[in-house]
Amino acid sequence: MAVVEVKELKKSFGPLEVLKRISFEVERNEVIAVIGPSGSGKSTMLRSLVHLEEVEGGTIAIQGENLVLNGQYAKAKHLKEITSKMGMVFQQFNLFPHLTVIQNLELAPKLVKQRAEEGYRKRAMDLLAKVGLSDKADVFPSKLSGGQKQRVAIARALMMNPEILLFDEPTSALDPELTGEVLDVMKELAKEHMTMIVVTHEMEFARDVADRVLFMDQGEIVEEGSPDELFGNPKKERTKAFLSRTMRNRSAE
Amino acid sequence: MSLDYLLTILKPMLEGAQATILLFIIAIIASIPLGFLLTLAVRSSIKPVAWLAHSYIYLMRGTPLLLQLLVIVFGLPLLPVVGDYLVLDRFVAACIGFILNYAAYFAEIFRGGLLAIDKGQYEAAQVLGLNRWQTTTKVVLPQMFRIALPAVANESVTLVKDTALLYAVAVPELLHFAQTAVNRDFTIVPFFVAALIYLLITMVLTLFFKWLERRMRFE
Repeated sequence: MAVVEVKELKKSFGPLEVLKRISFEVERNEVIAVIGPSGSGKSTMLRSLVHLEEVEGGTIAIQGENLVLNGQYAKAKHLKEITSKMGMVFQQFNLFPHLTVIQNLELAPKLVKQRAEEGYRKRAMDLLAKVGLSDKADVFPSKLSGGQKQRVAIARALMMNPEILLFDEPTSALDPELTGEVLDVMKELAKEHMTMIVVTHEMEFARDVADRVLFMDQGEIVEEGSPDELFGNPKKERTKAFLSRTMRNRSAE
Repeated sequence: MSLDYLLTILKPMLEGAQATILLFIIAIIASIPLGFLLTLAVRSSIKPVAWLAHSYIYLMRGTPLLLQLLVIVFGLPLLPVVGDYLVLDRFVAACIGFILNYAAYFAEIFRGGLLAIDKGQYEAAQVLGLNRWQTTTKVVLPQMFRIALPAVANESVTLVKDTALLYAVAVPELLHFAQTAVNRDFTIVPFFVAALIYLLITMVLTLFFKWLERRMRFE
C-alpha cells in the first residue's frame, strides 16, 4: 500500500489555479524528487500534505487514512494525528531563534509526546551527532551558518519520528558552498530508507538520490519516472524545455 | 549655595520623588499586562471586540494624556447622577489615568512585536504538532517580548517623565516640591536638583533594561 496517496488535488489562489487535479502515490521507503519551474505549484502541493495549505478538492491519504476525502477534511483531532506522521523541512529553516539548538530539538517532543524527559536529551544528542553538530547543542541559531541551521532543522523534524519527511526547497536559501553538507545528510537519510518527498532545484540530487522524479509545470504533474527516464529520455516537450533551460543555466554558472 | 540649603530642600523633594516612583511602578505593573490583553483583543476574530479595542487605542493615543488626567480627576465628578460616585483620591485617579493611557501604547508596541514574527515560526510549530496555546506561549510570546523590549524600555523612560503631569492635577510629587522651593527661596537650584533626581531614576531604569536585553539576546 502506498504511504502517500494523492488524488485529483485541486487548489486555487483567487482566479489562479495552482493545483489542477494532481494525482500521485509514494511507496514506503521511496525518495521522490519534485522538480519544476517557480510557480508550478510544487511547494503548494507539498504544503497541502501537512495541512499548511487547504485544498478545495481531491483526496490525500497518509498510510491509508484520509486527511482529505473529496475535499472534506478529517476532524481536527484525527487530522492532527495524520499530519503528525510527517515531518517538514523548510526553505527558511524556521528554527526557533529564542531557543538553543538542543531546546529547538526538544521543545515539540516535550510538549506533544508527554514521555519521560531523559529520553529526549539522548535522542537529541544522537540526532545532532548524526547531522554532525554535536558541538553546537547549546548554541543559539543566530550563531550558525545556513547549512548548519538546515541540518538542525532536519534533526528537529526527525525528533518526532516521522514516517515521511517532506523537504520544501531545503537548499534554495543557502550559499552554493553550503548546499553540499545539507544534501549529504539527506543522502544519508535516503540510504536509511527514510520515505522522503523533496521539492528541489538541485538536479544532481534528483538524478543521483531520488527513486522517482515528478516534473510539475503550471499546476500539473507533466511527467514522472525514474531519474534515468526523466533526465535521459524526457517524453514531453515541456519537460525537455525545462531541462534544457536548467542545464544551460547550470553550465553557464 | 550651602550644603545645608541643599539638605533642606532635598528632604521634601525626595518625598515627592516617592510619589513619582510609586506612580511609575503602579502604572507600569498594571499597564503592561493590560496592554497585552488589548493586543489580543485587537487581534480577536470576534469583530466587535477588535473594533472596541481599536477605538480605545485610537482614543487614548489621539488625545493628550494631560486632558485625560484632567477629565478623570476633575471632569468625572461633574457628571450628572454618577458624578458623586466618581470623586476619587487624586493620586488614585491619576494612577487610573496613567494605566489606561499607557496600556494603549503598550498594546501598540506588542502588536508590532507580534507582526514582526515570521509566518514560518507558526508553520514550524504547527508541523511539529504544537497546539495553539503551546505555539503562543512557547514560540510566539517569548519572541514578541524580546522584539518589543527596546520599545518598552523607551516607553518606560517616557512614563517616568510623564509623572510630572501629576503637578497639573495637584498631587504633590517631585516637580511640585521643586517649584514650591523655587518660588519660596527665589533660586534656580531646586530645578536642577529635580532634574538630577529624574536623571537618576531614568538611569537606573535604562541600566535595568540594558541588562534585560543582554540576557535575552539569544546569542
